[in-house]
Amino acid sequence: MIRLFNTVAFRLAMGYGVLVLCAVAVISAILYLGTVEVMDREINAKIFGVSDRLIKRFAEHGLEGVQQGIDQLLTDSIDFDTEVYLLVGPDGKKIIGNIDPVTSDAMQLDQLVDEQVVRYGRKSSSRLLSHQFTSGSVLVVGRDMHAVHELNQLVLRALGIGGVLAVVIAVGGAILFRTQLERRVAAIRLTVLEIEAGDLDRRIPVLDSNDEFSRLNHDINHMLDQIQHLMEGVRNVSNAIAHDLRTPLGRIRSLLDEALRQDRNQEELSTAATNAIRQIDDLTVVFDKLLQIAEAESGTRRQSFEPVGLKEIVTDVVEFYDAAAEAKGIRLTIGVEGDPTTLGDKDLLASATANLVDNALKYAGSDSTIRVRVVQDRNTVSIVVQDNGPGIPASERDKVMTRFYRGDRSRTLPGNGLGLPIVSSISQLHSGTFALEDASPGLTARIVLPRVRASGRMGERNGRNGENPLPAQKPVLESE
Amino acid sequence: MRCLVIEDEMDTARYICNGLKEAGFNVNWCSNGADGLHLAADENWDVVILDRLLPGNADGLSIVQTMRALRKSTPVLVLSALASLDERVKGLRSGGDDYLTKPFAFSELLARVQALLRRSAMHQDVAELMIADLKLDLRRHRAERANKVIALQPREFRLLEYLVRSQGQVVTRTMLLEAVWEYHFDPQTNVIDVQISRLRHKIDKGFSPQLLHTVRGVGYMIAVHD
Repeated sequence: MIRLFNTVAFRLAMGYGVLVLCAVAVISAILYLGTVEVMDREINAKIFGVSDRLIKRFAEHGLEGVQQGIDQLLTDSIDFDTEVYLLVGPDGKKIIGNIDPVTSDAMQLDQLVDEQVVRYGRKSSSRLLSHQFTSGSVLVVGRDMHAVHELNQLVLRALGIGGVLAVVIAVGGAILFRTQLERRVAAIRLTVLEIEAGDLDRRIPVLDSNDEFSRLNHDINHMLDQIQHLMEGVRNVSNAIAHDLRTPLGRIRSLLDEALRQDRNQEELSTAATNAIRQIDDLTVVFDKLLQIAEAESGTRRQSFEPVGLKEIVTDVVEFYDAAAEAKGIRLTIGVEGDPTTLGDKDLLASATANLVDNALKYAGSDSTIRVRVVQDRNTVSIVVQDNGPGIPASERDKVMTRFYRGDRSRTLPGNGLGLPIVSSISQLHSGTFALEDASPGLTARIVLPRVRASGRMGERNGRNGENPLPAQKPVLESE
Repeated sequence: MRCLVIEDEMDTARYICNGLKEAGFNVNWCSNGADGLHLAADENWDVVILDRLLPGNADGLSIVQTMRALRKSTPVLVLSALASLDERVKGLRSGGDDYLTKPFAFSELLARVQALLRRSAMHQDVAELMIADLKLDLRRHRAERANKVIALQPREFRLLEYLVRSQGQVVTRTMLLEAVWEYHFDPQTNVIDVQISRLRHKIDKGFSPQLLHTVRGVGYMIAVHD
């Protein structure tokens, strides 16, 4: 019972049951007063009325008149089964009436009393009103209350049964409620336990009904997806640390060890130190990039998002790289439609774009063309970096998104295999997507982001999920 | 130049202090937050170098905040192993003038300290900058050398302006990136080097003396060398 009471569903249902019981009690009281009480009052009024009429008759016609009146009333067959009359002379002898004389000390004059009398030879529970005339005779008018008492009992019994039934229904409902809820909650608890035991792939089954529980389950599943994603990120990072950070550390260590071993001259020592410092600097860059990915994946920077114009960012990045492109004999062009705006972080978006241009410069080869474009449609804005170099084989396109992956061609070039993963994580942070496509020839890298209206007002943004119900507005171009 | 270094880690502190002494600074070292706060607030310094993570979980930023609350405008360079953009923004918002993440090269630290000193010394609004026969008209964004106009893109002009303002002193690649491009990302390729060599081509080719010099392993400097 304690266990039963210890559930929210049961307590809720019980509380509700008590409320229903209170309502039943109020209704019963009204019902009772409306029937039994009203009847009672009517009976009393009638007794007083008849008694008054007979007393008046005494004043006009004396005891004879009263006797006649009673005789009439007893023979008129109205209320024959309930009426009670008695006229007793001053000597205590019954003059007329349908009950045996009552012991007068039980009677209180001119007041209603409930009394057991003998009516037509049978016991009867009656309500009586006695009056003593000046002559010493006593008039008793009354009514047999048997039927009234029975009705009273009936109503009370009905109300009692009703009350018990209400309690039973409330408790039963509470138990039913509880089992229903328990069943839905059990599904969640089971999944949670399985996840706790290490099976992160488990999800709570979601019914189609779209009720509170389905919505809750959907939200929990979404949260679990997010957690799983983060866990995988952590796992990847630990693998990366194991493979790709220990290796350079080992290299630096052996370099310094080697420098110390035999008697090296000053110049050799300083070369070794310089080398070690350079490699440590490279390692620091790797650390920074991993942190950058972790930071993007944690989503904390979303708090400082604001509308940013991509035209400015992309133009800056292209301008930044144009000298490098020129030096390599690569044409770098830019095309921006309108004034595309998204909600985001200026530095991160610039970093993503820079990574793509950097990549293209590294791999497209001399005498190629890199086209950087920003295009927009109703709901999205895209940063597209396209080159006409050798591209990436379809089989490798997924792999280059994983951390520290270096394609065969890139192993000889400087880099750390973190550029594209950074772009990917920055895109995801901005609720966007990042994809590599075949440009035949060459490679198209495309970041697709949710679009926000190109208005100067802050905070006017669309949903995070990229729905944009606003019609495409004629954007205002910023003058350079 | 009086310099206060607040840093609890012995090796790093020695590295900084030795380097600054060699560069001619008068260095005071302090290894905990309480003394650091006391020294920073009570005495006058030309520059303060401040580590963020101090003993007893004290955040060095509270020292900057106190200094700024006391209306001390001494330039402060914040040192930290916390490298994320958020932390950098926090460091600068708290009143730090520059933010350098560990590990760092001393040359980078020195260049930044000198830039801070320069910035606090040179606040006046000038219309023209000059070195040797190179003239920069800041109003019309025009550069000329030996009375010949040099065509520069807007960003190249800003790069040159920054270098000329810091003439005689080394500026590092990251300083240029932050000051001229105003973004916080590190390019993988030698983009700054290429930008500089294009600029050098425009301002130095066919002229004498050569003004834009590469300082190996550190950065660049505009100066009239012999």
